[in-house]
Amino acid sequence: MRSFSHLNARTVSEAIAALVQFDGRARLNAGGTELFGALKDEFLPEYPEAVINIKSIKGLEYIKEEKGHLRIGALTKLSVLSESRLLRERYGALAEAAHAVAGPQIRNVATIGGNLCQDVRCCYYRYPRHIGGPINCARKGNGPCLAVNGDNRNHAIFAGRKCFAVCPSDTAVALALYDAQLVVVGPQGERQIAVRDFYTPIENLLQRTEIVREILIPAVTGTVTQSFSKFALRTPIDFAIVSVASLITLEDGICTDARIVLGAVAHNPHRALEAEEFLRGCRLDVEVSRQAGEFAIREAKPLSKNAFKIQIAKTLVSRAIFGQPAGFVLKGNFSETTSSTQMCSGKH
Amino acid sequence: MNEPYRYIGKATQRNDAVGIVTGTVQYLNDVKFKNLLYAKVLRSPHPHALIKNIDKSKAENLKGVKAILTWENVPDWKGGTPGVTRILGRRLRFVGDVVALIAATSEEIAKEASSLIDVEYEILPAVFDEEEAVKPGAPQLYDEFPGNIVTPGFPIFGPKCLTAIAMGDMDKGFAEAEVIVEGTCGYANIPNPIPPEPPGAVALWEEPSRVTIWVSNQAPHVDRMTLSEIFGHEVEIFTHGHPVGGSFGTKIITWQVQAFATLLSRATGRPVKIIYTKEEHIAAFVLRPSSKMHARVGMKKDGTVTAVSGKWLVGTGHYSMTSQAQLAVGLGEVQIMTRCANWDLQTDIICTNRNASGSVRGFGGQELKCAFIPILSRAMAQLNLDPFEFIKKNYIKPGEGYFWRDGNWYIYRGIDYSEAMDKGAERFGWKEKWRGWLQPSAQKGSLRSGVGVGVHGNADIGEDTSEAYVRLSTEGTVTLITSLTEHGTGQRSNYVKMIGEVLQLPLERIFISASDSVIAPFDFGPVGSRGTYAIGSAAISAAEDAKRQLFQLAAPILGANVEDLETVDGLIFAKGKPEQCIPWIATGHDRTIMGYGRFDPDYTLANCMTTFVEVEVDTETGKVTLQNVVNATDVGQIIDPPGLEGQLNGCLGSSGIDSAIFEETIIDPTTGHILNANLIDYKWRTFSELPEIDNVVLETPISSHRFRAIGVGEVATSPGPSAILMAVSNAIGTWLHEYPVTPERVLAALNKVKSQEHAGGAL
Repeated sequence: MRSFSHLNARTVSEAIAALVQFDGRARLNAGGTELFGALKDEFLPEYPEAVINIKSIKGLEYIKEEKGHLRIGALTKLSVLSESRLLRERYGALAEAAHAVAGPQIRNVATIGGNLCQDVRCCYYRYPRHIGGPINCARKGNGPCLAVNGDNRNHAIFAGRKCFAVCPSDTAVALALYDAQLVVVGPQGERQIAVRDFYTPIENLLQRTEIVREILIPAVTGTVTQSFSKFALRTPIDFAIVSVASLITLEDGICTDARIVLGAVAHNPHRALEAEEFLRGCRLDVEVSRQAGEFAIREAKPLSKNAFKIQIAKTLVSRAIFGQPAGFVLKGNFSETTSSTQMCSGKH
Repeated sequence: MNEPYRYIGKATQRNDAVGIVTGTVQYLNDVKFKNLLYAKVLRSPHPHALIKNIDKSKAENLKGVKAILTWENVPDWKGGTPGVTRILGRRLRFVGDVVALIAATSEEIAKEASSLIDVEYEILPAVFDEEEAVKPGAPQLYDEFPGNIVTPGFPIFGPKCLTAIAMGDMDKGFAEAEVIVEGTCGYANIPNPIPPEPPGAVALWEEPSRVTIWVSNQAPHVDRMTLSEIFGHEVEIFTHGHPVGGSFGTKIITWQVQAFATLLSRATGRPVKIIYTKEEHIAAFVLRPSSKMHARVGMKKDGTVTAVSGKWLVGTGHYSMTSQAQLAVGLGEVQIMTRCANWDLQTDIICTNRNASGSVRGFGGQELKCAFIPILSRAMAQLNLDPFEFIKKNYIKPGEGYFWRDGNWYIYRGIDYSEAMDKGAERFGWKEKWRGWLQPSAQKGSLRSGVGVGVHGNADIGEDTSEAYVRLSTEGTVTLITSLTEHGTGQRSNYVKMIGEVLQLPLERIFISASDSVIAPFDFGPVGSRGTYAIGSAAISAAEDAKRQLFQLAAPILGANVEDLETVDGLIFAKGKPEQCIPWIATGHDRTIMGYGRFDPDYTLANCMTTFVEVEVDTETGKVTLQNVVNATDVGQIIDPPGLEGQLNGCLGSSGIDSAIFEETIIDPTTGHILNANLIDYKWRTFSELPEIDNVVLETPISSHRFRAIGVGEVATSPGPSAILMAVSNAIGTWLHEYPVTPERVLAALNKVKSQEHAGGAL
């Protein structure tokens, strides 16, 4: 790690003022769990002049319902989200996604804002400076993407372009499911960005002088079942190889609406629109869920070593709609009334 | 029944226990030095390059920088086997190879200086695959190694060092076979044991030619011996050992790190410390050797192996220090596991442009068997032979023989492990679970369970030499003077127990010296599995020698014969007459009694570990979950039950069983970068995913040392990987032949994914 200035922001305005003061050459420290690894490995072309501590901002840690929305403060800890009764009952996929991040020590300090804004985990992009220098790449704007011809087992199977790194955030997958918005504040004021649109192939849309203040989630209504499941090599701590969040509305056993979002398969949380379309009007059973899995991955274009992710994605989608978690997949089992497994087995 | 002992076989507190749990143990990085400088290494961005020009002027002008060394301003010191690798060379052979060394007043300054050094490289073509490396026209790493084939033989093992197994009559052997299979299998994922403490050293050079080095290695004498070959015998080398934060076989040789500190101290006249980061530890220290085997095996219906011919390729990375030794030991171990009269197994050690392989527990045998057992399995499957019965039949029995590492033939006089194997099978429920080759033991929905078994044993429990002093102070205390460091297993405490048993003294009165090569006698250290038998023998005989000297002094006072005397709790008396006793001090308060003990190599005993595993495979995601493990062994006599349990429970990590499940070093196939040099991307099992581990330990007294023990040593990690491959193959009903069994490989084997490329072997 190199030297940098360290500032404590007491308010969102102070944080923005500091970002402006350093002209973007500063980084926000919410939980620090991703930031300090990045600073130690020095893999980015530019090193920040300052780290602005935003843990010192009061009042950004909350979960509250208001005017048909759920509002979550950007500094709310992942452990708080995963244990929230409100979330468990009404936004179970998000509670499970928060719980699926890393281990308890990390979740106790990592925040939802940080989880959404974290940098990608691509092994080329993050290659440490002190073992022969960082690797230039498309994401850094100084070279081609080496993953294309290299070890791309963890890279994108959808919509890759220039950079094939995947969005590593678990909570983004659940938030995209709910059509959540990020409330972002900068020197020009406030704006909202849909979580689904937040990630582009080479960066996220947060300007260097902006800060995420809040996450805004439209109310989930009706008889829905939700799930979040994550496939990782080491369930307790790893980043997802594939994750799936689903939100299914059922009337008399017929699916009237479906939303399915895949994680760790693209630069953004990937909405499986074809599968959703297919499910509408279907009576859910094993065959339908299998077909939904096929629809979900129809557009996948794997790289040389990651075609296996397609099979995993397909399986996770099928299981999210109808099926047993099989013991390996961390899957939401939210409450008596919203557990997808229970509802499905009741109807079949 | 074994003898009743006061300490042996009983749980006693380790003498470093309080220090470890209270954080007061002084590991190398905790030790304070005055006037200390800190070192950093500038590393090569290229897998193969020549340094054309280095401009270090900017870095030298940075305040706090005290020395910058490059190939141009260091002596021509070379290491390796043979010694062809310069400490700082002009030619760089892997991404991470050393370009320059910097000493500065802080780590941060040293690191900043490294980024200010401008280097111009001439990039050379590189080769990463062993089979490509030996082809004509492949890039060559060394002039001394034509075809990238490293000079065979390990000099310490003598002129007949094992480099092949050639005996019997191959034609006859294959003619006798009822089935012959031929195949290739690799254990080529070069896992990294990654002990928690990274490698490091502190050195202080004193003119004209003395260096004192504080090390974090297993055996300070081995450091001294290794460095003396490199620095030249005119350099006086003192090494001081410290408690080691884990080794797993890697911290027997750390010559580069120690040489870096030495060179920088020589350049600055100040003590210099270098401690690797975890990234350096993974990307630029020691990997397991890569192993690929092509073999033809003849077998009879009763499981008799009639012939083995083939080639074993060992990948050593950019140079070899111990690969020849691993190869020799591996060749010995494969004979212990496989009784066969006709062998023609040839070998090559190949260098490529990646971080080096080196000493790791399982030392050669694990690498060879992980490739060999899957080939044997094909023959067993054709004959419908139960692999457990095969292992039991073919593992060495007393009276049988093998060529060991020095090329000599030895007759085994150790334990028949059949009973331990049977007890292990019973505990595991092997008979109930084994349903035949490629048959799952259970299935439910998309889940398939499968079982596998592996075996490993090693005649290295009596390898190399050990010496010890045991000093008696006549007030009734004892000090063991040994060069051994505590490398994590608790062995230093176990020698105290052995001495306590010999001298019948409370353990609180037995002390153990700091480890060094200055005063303490020679010891090769706790390598292989030699801790209990070899090192223990030296400590025991030193204690017996001291006791004999004590009795010689006491005999005239007590008016008894030396051989009639006993001592208990610091009192000496004639047998049967404890009431007529004298304290040790009666022999004189002004006296040192120094016992000396030595162990010389004995290759006629071996340990043995049989490991049974059960896995569950999700056939729709490819996920492999290790459900339970049973380790079965016979240790002769347990010395310390908790220590033994720890050693057995160590079967998973440090590139053991998990090297078949998810541990692997990932190297970019075109640039040679190690892509997972951190503990998120390098997969280590976490505590919350531990399987059930059950250990079956028998105690069959054996003629070894006084306590009739042989120990268990390093072998817990070794039988597991091939057992996992077997278990997953059985679970999914198709053969796997590559490590680790990633979801990608499992799904490809199930035809659920189109594998884009085929690496490794094919059977």
